[in-house]
Amino acid sequence: MKTAKTFSLLSLFVLLVTAWAQNPGYRVDPGWKVPPKAAVKKNPLPPTPAVLAGGKALFRAHCASCHGRDGQGGRRAADFHLAAVQAQSDGALLYKMSHGYRRKGMPSFSQLPEVQRWQIILYLRELGKERGHRK
Amino acid sequence: MRRRTLSLAARLFSALFMLLYLGLRARAQEAPYFVTYDHHLEEPSSLEIEASTTAGSPHGGQRTFFAPYTEFEYGVTGWWTSELYVEGQTTAQDSTLFTGWRLENRFALLAHDHAVNPVLYFEYEDVNEASRITTEVTGHNQLGPDTNATARLQLDRELETKLILSGDRHGWNISWNGIVEKNFTQNEGVEFGYALGVAHSLAGLSSGANCVFCRNALALGLEAYGGLGSTQSLTLRDTAQYIAPVLAWQLSPNSTLRLSPGVGLTHVSEPLLLRIGYSYEFPGFGEALAGLLHHRGKSGLQ
Ligand code: HEC
Repeated sequence: MKTAKTFSLLSLFVLLVTAWAQNPGYRVDPGWKVPPKAAVKKNPLPPTPAVLAGGKALFRAHCASCHGRDGQGGRRAADFHLAAVQAQSDGALLYKMSHGYRRKGMPSFSQLPEVQRWQIILYLRELGKERGHRK
Repeated sequence: MRRRTLSLAARLFSALFMLLYLGLRARAQEAPYFVTYDHHLEEPSSLEIEASTTAGSPHGGQRTFFAPYTEFEYGVTGWWTSELYVEGQTTAQDSTLFTGWRLENRFALLAHDHAVNPVLYFEYEDVNEASRITTEVTGHNQLGPDTNATARLQLDRELETKLILSGDRHGWNISWNGIVEKNFTQNEGVEFGYALGVAHSLAGLSSGANCVFCRNALALGLEAYGGLGSTQSLTLRDTAQYIAPVLAWQLSPNSTLRLSPGVGLTHVSEPLLLRIGYSYEFPGFGEALAGLLHHRGKSGLQ
């Protein structure tokens, strides 16, 4: 009885946390501008399995706590499967990740080496491919 | 009674589970500084607990000391971090005592990162003169042979503000902190100090493996900090000045070990300050806790 109650409580907690980790209603903020010079930057890394594995691990380490383990979005954080997010250039996504948007809860990741930030961008593109873009 | 036992067991178990669950979700890389602040605040809703110690060697009639402190750092929002310190001290052939607490708040002034990012810092501290953690150095200094018994009687209730200017470029961080401090319990005027830090992450391309013994887990840096006098005497005479290499070693995605041997540069500085700190991060702590409490409130289980 005791165990059953504790476990139902725990499952509910896990459900609650997982429920947060979805944000299909996410809208890209048009006020979050990316300078044209930053937006045209190209990812210098090739999408090899090794580089992607690193990107995935970095994503899980630094981004998943808000954006969800599979990039499905969090309570306020962007869903990376959305077409509006995937439609942005690599340079634009790198710029947003590096500069953050504190008022809206997105930290800046300028402290990560640039090569690792590009690895994460590669992984974000994989996420976009995995399930196809959501409208 | 039985209901209370069940409730307590369930609560403890849930708390433990929550910590473990959060611990499995990982976090961002730490700057290696002990004294200097950079512009990166705690992620919103994350809790970081850090246990550190400052140890000093004997000098000027003083004995070896060991000053442990614990920080609880919480990201209230993306632009506001709040932190509580509790600290103590042990001196060889003397005593062990609690030396006080500090409450600080940091506010980022800009929404997005720029080349230089200003952060305002406000701290209230209620410590006594036996405090030796030396996480900020201001005004002038005196190294005396005070015993803990006499030092603890002198209270320092201080308000401290800092302007933090910091920026990241090409894997390097440069941070400068200007300090203005007012002690309400002693007539020392307004005191000034600074901290300056430069750090570089050794990390490169990630292989995806959680590698503890490789350069991707390391960041190196150098800090300089010291007093700049006070409104009563705006000179560098009798100010403590330190220079300290710093090393951060990421042991797991959530935990970091930091080390720093600091060297005193003036006759009123401690000759050697050895610092060690271990921090552990619980990302999403606040939200998970709020969810848990919300659910418990609804289910009626107290
Ligand atoms: C503390 C929570 C948090 C973490 C950690 C976090 N993000 Fe975010 N992120 C957010 C929030 C919230 C937003 C939405 C901002 C908005 O509303 O415009 C966001 C938005 C973004 C956007 C912009 C999407 C758009 O609207 O165009 C990108 C890109 C992004 N995040 C990348 C990352 C990456 C990459 C990481 C890991 C390196 C990361 N984020 C880690 C909270 C977070």
